[in-house]
Parts: sequence; structure tokens; C-alpha cells
Amino acid sequence: MKYKVGFITLFVTVMGFAQFGTPNAVPRNTDGKGLSARPLFYVLDWKLGTQLREEPTELAIEVDSLGLQEVNALVDVGGTKVLYTSDISTPVCADGECRLMHIRLYWTLLGDYAGFDPYPHLPLTKHDHDEFRTSDYLKLHQLLMDDNSILKRRKIDELVEKPKEPAMEGVDAVAGATIKEVKESVVDGALYSCYTAWHLVHGPIKEAILKRTKASLEEATVLSMLSSNHPQYQMFALKRLDQDQYEENHDRIAEIFASGIPLVRSFIVKNLPESFWQSQEIQRPFWQNFSTIDINSRSLLLNHLDKAPEAVVENLSQQMASMTKNQLKLFLEHLEGSEKVNPRIKANLMAFSSADTETNAYLVAYFLEDYE
Amino acid sequence: MKKILVISCFCFLSATIYGQDILVEAESFDDPGGWVVDSQFVQQMGSPYLMAHGMGQPVKNATTVVRFPEKGEYHIWVRTMNWVPGDWEAPGRFKLQVGNVALEKVLGKRSGWGWEYVGSSKVKTASEKVQLIDQTGFNGRCDAIYFSTRKEAPPASPKKLKEWRTEITQEPNAPKRSDDYDLVVVGGGIAGCAASIAAAEQGLKVALIHDRPVLGGNASEEIRVHTLGIYGHFERILKKLDTEHYPNGSADAKLDQKKRDDNVKSYENIDLHLNWRAYDAVNENDTIRYVDARQTRTGERKRFTAPYFVDSTGDGWIGFWAGAEFSYGRESVDTYGEEWEEWGELWSPEEADNAVMGSSVLWGSKETDSVQKFPNVPWALPVAKEYEEVNGEWQWEFSRNDLHQIHDAEEIRDHMLRAIYGSFANAKKNSKNATRKLEWVSYLVGKRESRRLVGDHIFTFKDAKTGIEFADAVVQETREVDVHYQTVLEDEKNPDFISEALFYKTPMYYIPYRSLYSKNISNLFMAGRNFSTSHVGLGGPRVMRTTGQMGAAVGLAAALCKKYEVNPRGIYEGYLTEYLSLIEQQKYIKIPASKQ
Repeated sequence: MKYKVGFITLFVTVMGFAQFGTPNAVPRNTDGKGLSARPLFYVLDWKLGTQLREEPTELAIEVDSLGLQEVNALVDVGGTKVLYTSDISTPVCADGECRLMHIRLYWTLLGDYAGFDPYPHLPLTKHDHDEFRTSDYLKLHQLLMDDNSILKRRKIDELVEKPKEPAMEGVDAVAGATIKEVKESVVDGALYSCYTAWHLVHGPIKEAILKRTKASLEEATVLSMLSSNHPQYQMFALKRLDQDQYEENHDRIAEIFASGIPLVRSFIVKNLPESFWQSQEIQRPFWQNFSTIDINSRSLLLNHLDKAPEAVVENLSQQMASMTKNQLKLFLEHLEGSEKVNPRIKANLMAFSSADTETNAYLVAYFLEDYE
Repeated sequence: MKKILVISCFCFLSATIYGQDILVEAESFDDPGGWVVDSQFVQQMGSPYLMAHGMGQPVKNATTVVRFPEKGEYHIWVRTMNWVPGDWEAPGRFKLQVGNVALEKVLGKRSGWGWEYVGSSKVKTASEKVQLIDQTGFNGRCDAIYFSTRKEAPPASPKKLKEWRTEITQEPNAPKRSDDYDLVVVGGGIAGCAASIAAAEQGLKVALIHDRPVLGGNASEEIRVHTLGIYGHFERILKKLDTEHYPNGSADAKLDQKKRDDNVKSYENIDLHLNWRAYDAVNENDTIRYVDARQTRTGERKRFTAPYFVDSTGDGWIGFWAGAEFSYGRESVDTYGEEWEEWGELWSPEEADNAVMGSSVLWGSKETDSVQKFPNVPWALPVAKEYEEVNGEWQWEFSRNDLHQIHDAEEIRDHMLRAIYGSFANAKKNSKNATRKLEWVSYLVGKRESRRLVGDHIFTFKDAKTGIEFADAVVQETREVDVHYQTVLEDEKNPDFISEALFYKTPMYYIPYRSLYSKNISNLFMAGRNFSTSHVGLGGPRVMRTTGQMGAAVGLAAALCKKYEVNPRGIYEGYLTEYLSLIEQQKYIKIPASKQ
């Protein structure tokens, strides 16, 4: 479930959906040659007015009995690649009955799932031929966002309980039920469609796209990824910045640190160049978010306490309530190592040590006792 | 031997205020009632303690008889802690009763382990019954009770308390009792049991020291993780110890418990010490001379001497005390070339850190015929938040980089208890769960990863990925390398106590014998999750049939060590052919029909 996209994205998607009506009734923004509106189910940012055109690539997806299906790049007006897409028609077979599933899939430049559009007039259907409802499409979208789904490591027949033996001779065995863990993540009555779609999205094409992107990677693309709100783009970009680029993009990195997911934040604080810790001004924005960031990143930040300006230490002395027990111990150890604790910090310590509602007040009380 | 200590003379106090003072260790109570003895955190908080683990139902009183040297007024302190301090009533509240009088003071309310003053009580008879009265069923805890004629609290800080305890108990440095063995195995998980059996079958006199009443560690009925992995060369031995593939947390673990305990006890030359916890290992010239252990209820001590030792404690305690090299946390991706690009930082970080796979606390509930109430647990909700569940599987796992899986194990366990009680309380709000009742919640931390002792070879992801067949391969496995991470790393809205697994499919891979003995402590073997491996390397072979193979392998190695009077490394250097042949022969020893 790498970098789950949060509820907000889902909410926006659903609201967008509401505006456009049900998916099977509305021809989406695909004209067969490009993309001029946000895909109905989508995980990336979409800037209003974006016009993308299709550009052929050497990439293709092998689909059972229908052969190779093209995967094209979607490029902006400046010719920069933004997405990859493929119009897929694939057979979905269950219990010996096959039917075609039509879906337009999108991938990010890193080969990750970016979204999908159902086809106008060719809605996805369930095993019993009922058409997907809005909630079903949303569930499929969530499933496709989960790149570590239980579907990944299992064969389709492992996802279905073995059919029970017929109770009476001559009566057909009951079709196997979807196993419990799987049921929670797939569209009810559409296991085979979900399974097929997941493996198309997360199949070999993923690596092929990533390889293609890496082969022609330019600085502009890296910086564009850095400016994205997509965690995988952020991480990909951060891993490719050199020290000078870290400094040049200091403001953006501080922004990501404030708003990113914990994994990206932790990467940032672990990999900031030493020069950041030499400058009081540059490191300040990172400390400013101390009380709102996740616990792991906070701990990593505290490892740099010895290089923090006095103002930061003083500020932290007002935020002891947001520290875990071990973080507070670390903070107190730092103070213990200081030549002299300034009176304002000491006042904060005293106030905290006598606060009845503070879980770790006793640690500060011990510290003050020893400090005297 | 009940551990009630009468302190008739405090040599460190002024002679004018000597009194008759008594320290009662709670774990030594005559009858613990419904309270459980928790000895998991001795190294951190100083002692085993009694805990009222009633899953929300107050447990039966713990009782003991205290003999007072003289009648009169005594001041009383209880060493306890509020395990979830905050803006709510403490969850683990209890009271103390002396004789017929229940003392007013509600206990279990202070932050951090320390002494709570209960009040004073007039003792009218030489013997008084003392009782712990649980009020909540939510894990109130009592380490010790101190009676003194003077109103002077014992020391609170862990360091001073340790000195105080040693002084008032007048405990000599060395245990009075000492026994010699051919091999001392510390830790009775699957690895330790397998090591003991393999060595015993070769005729060695083995001591197996285990700090719980039952064997199996994570596979025991107390933790209930099923065993995974293959048998390798040791099917016969491991079938005496392993489990069926029931869901984790299943009560079926009790059946395998009996099988395992009976099998180990059937070896006359295994001197089994259940409820004994090792607390020290002393090395001279890089060789361990002895391990000291203490009975977890009586406090009795014993010294175990032997030429060879197996550290199968999981946490690598024997190695740690003896000064063995060890590692903890995640190596940087370049240290051993353990990259898996698809999962990047979640798999192996660019910069080393102290993150590890977390610990699980398994639990379950059941449907009943009548409506079942569950108390409000406001103190659990900051952890559980909106999460609802009625059972806990392996995904119930907790790790955070400010918490050490050994030093902070009690906090980790308590965090999981809050997650469990809170999630169950949330589920109970749903009318479909009206008749559901908590059936079982473990109070033991089921750890995946802690210290890893360093051997002559460090087993890594590369070894698993390439399937390199070492000349000294003694353990084999086909199970994927499976590394866990906390899902909260990806999305702060996820609960912080749920993990996800990343599986890397490998060919058959092999663990060399050189990963099963210490690099710098000459007579120390290791088997179990504390073997010589990297963080990612541990992802595959940490499961219990694999660790059982490690145990059996070192048990056989110990037999050859004795035969040739060499250290573990000496087997690799001089007797490898004979050793591998001995392992190979294991395959041809008949498995009894009952085990097939």
C-alpha cells in the first residue's frame, strides 16, 4: 500500500464524479488522441486547462488472446511527458464464461498507478452482468492504488475458497466464495475483473515505464516531480538532488517537510546536507514544524539538537508536551550537556514539571532535582 | 520460598531510627489469585511484578501472609505505576488490604514506576493477610509492598532502587548454588528447545533456562504465533516442537503446547528450568564462564557453568552481557547491497537508522449467547482512535523509532493493549457485536526483531536472493524474505499499530554455520532471531521452523565441540565434514508414526 492517497483525493474524485453523473453514462474526457480534463479516477494533481496529447511509444501490454495493446505517452504542450496511458480491452474469464473488459488506464512517469477512465457506453460489469455503480468504481480505484495488494502474490484460484462438494449427486458444486481478506479489498461480485485490472496496472509495464523515464531523465523533470504533491515523485526527486540542488530548493523541501507523508519527511531529515545544520536560518523552518510532524521525524530532528540555535531550544522547551518519553529524555540530556540553562527555558521546565496533566512531568522534575 | 524480607538493620541509616521493616515482593505472593506474574521487563524496571490482566473484568484478589516482627503502626508503600497517565481515571487502579481493613488509598496512579504511599496501618497480630484488590481488570500492576515503622519512602530512581534492594536483602554477589553442564541453553523458544534436544540426543548434559512457565516463546500458548518455514534436515526434532498452521492467536496453540512441553521434558539429560530468568553472563578472556539466573517468583538464584552456551533469548541477552558484538536497527542500503528499488526506503534506507520490525500482541473475541458489556476506555482511544476490530492477527504490530524493542518493551506492550481495548470498545458500539466478548488478550510481547549478535558471517538479503549454497550451510529455507513496516509511515491517518509486509520471492537459500556462533565470544552459539544477520536478512529466516533449524544445528555442533574440546569456530575450521555428516544423518533417523 505504498503511499496511500488520502481521503481528500478521494473526496475530490467523488465530487468530480457527482458533477459528471454516473461513469457509464458520460463520455469522459478521452477523445482517443489525448486528455483535456482530469481522469475520473486519478491520484495526481491536475491543473485546470491542462491539454495533453498522445505520443506513441515502443511500450505495449500483452493481453490474453488479444495480443499487444499500445501504451502511449501523454505529453503537454511543451512536449514534456506527464503520463502514460493505454486503452485496454481484455477478456475476463470466470467459470468458463468470458467477456471483454474495456478500461483506459494511466500510469505516472515512474510506472505507478495514476488512475483510470471507464469507457462511455462500455461500463465495467460484475460476474452477474450488473453494471458497476459509483461505489464499485471507487473501490476499484482504491484497490489499484494499493500496489502491495493481497492480489499481488496470489493466483486467482487461491483467492477463492474451494467449491464445496455437491450435497446430492447430480447437483452442481457451488462456485467458490471469495476469501475474507480479499473480499474486503475487491468489488463485490467482480473479483475476476479486479484481479485482471490490478495485474495489468501493476504488471511488467510498471518497470518498463520507470526504465524509460530514467533513460531520458532531465533536471526539469526531477524538479517538476519535486514540486508535485505526489509522495513517490517527491521521494524520487529528493533521491536525485545533489547538495547544491538541496540548497537551491530549500523552500520547497521545507514545504514538503511540513506537508509530506512521514516516510518522505524522515528521508528529508536524514538526508539534509550538513550545510543545512550549519545555518541557523536554513534549519529554522524544519524546527518550526516540530509539534505537528510525525513522531519518527521528530526523533530524527532531535538528533540534530546540538546544532540547533538557542532560540530553537527555547522554543522546544515550550513544546515538551508533544515529545514522547524518550524524546523528552533526549531533550533533557541535551540541556544537561549545556553549560547553563537559560532562565526562560528553566521557567518552562519548572512549569512543565508541576503540571498535573503532563504524563512525563516526573522526568522533568527528576532533571530539575539533579540540576540543582 | 516466599520472598518476604524482614530488614532488621539498615547499616546505611542512622542507628537511632532502626526499625523493623519488611519488603514483600508481589511476585512471591502465596496466591496470586487472578493476577499474573509478569517477568518480561525485569531488566528495565527492576523486578517481576503482579499484573491484573482481566481484560476489563476485575480479577480475583492476590493474597499472601506477612509475618511482622513486632506489632504496631506501619507505614506502607506500594511500588506501582499508572500505565496510561492522562486526563482520565487511571486504568489499572487497585487497593491494598491488610488484615480485615481495606486501605482507602487507590493505587496505580503515579507516572512511571515508583513508590506510592498507601498510608499507615496498625498491625495487631504477628501474621496478617495482605491482599491486592483489583478495581478495573485493566492491567493494574504491583511490584512490591514495603512496610516500615518510619515514614520514609524507599528510593525511586532505578539505580538507587537496585542498590537499596541488594542492600536490604543482603544478597551476596554470587548465587549460593552452582551447577555444571556440558551446554547451557538460555531461552526456551523453538530454537532453544531444538538446541537442547539435539545436544541431549548426542549425550550432552544440558541446562535449558526459560523465563516462562511453558516452552515455545512466540509459538507458546501465551503468545500463539504459528510456526512457519521448512524443516530442513531436522524434521524429526522440529515436529516435536512446532505448531499446526492455525490462525495466529488461536486457542489451538494449547494443544501444541502440551506436545512441546512433554517432548522436551522426556529427555532426562535436559535439566529444564522453567520460570528462571537469566540476569548475567560473565566472560573471562572472551569466554563465558557462567550464566546467573533467578527464579521469577521465589527470587532464588543459581549459577550455571559450562564450556559452551547457546543464546536463544531472542534479545541476545547472553551475548550482550558477555560483551559480544551485536547490531540493532537497519543498515544503510549500501552496507550489504540490500536494495529493492520498488520499495526503496521502506525496504532498506539510504542512511542507517534504528528502525526495526515491530512486536505483536495477539488477541481475540468470541460470540456468546447473551449481551456482553465492555467498559468505556477513554485512555485507550488516543491510540485506537476510530479503529474497530474484534480479533488481532500478525498485522497488529508496533514499532517506532524512538522506542527500543528491548528497553521500551513495556511501553510497546502497553501501547498494544490500548490499541486492542480501544478497537474492541469501538467495535462493541456496533450492535452486531452486542453478544461478543473478549476471549483472550496476550500480555506478552511477541517480538520480531531485537539485537542481532554478530558471527563470523553476517547473513544478508543477498545471500537469500542469490541462494548461495555455503560450504557450511546448515539451515535451509524457501520462505520469502518478508520485511514489515508500519502503515502510518505512508499515511498519518492509518493506525500506528498496524503493519504491512513486503515479500521478496527467493530461491531456496541457506544459512551458514558461521552465522550461528559469536565472532568475539569464543564459546557462544546463537540460534533464533538473534543470530548473525542484517535487518533485511532477518526478514526470511526469522520464522520459527527456520530458527528451530538453527537451534538443532548448534545443538549438534556443541556435541562435536565437546568431543574434540574445541570452540564453535573450531568445528568450522577442523571438523566441518563430520559436522555436516552428523546433520545429514538426522534425515535418516526414523520419525515416530505419531509425528508423521
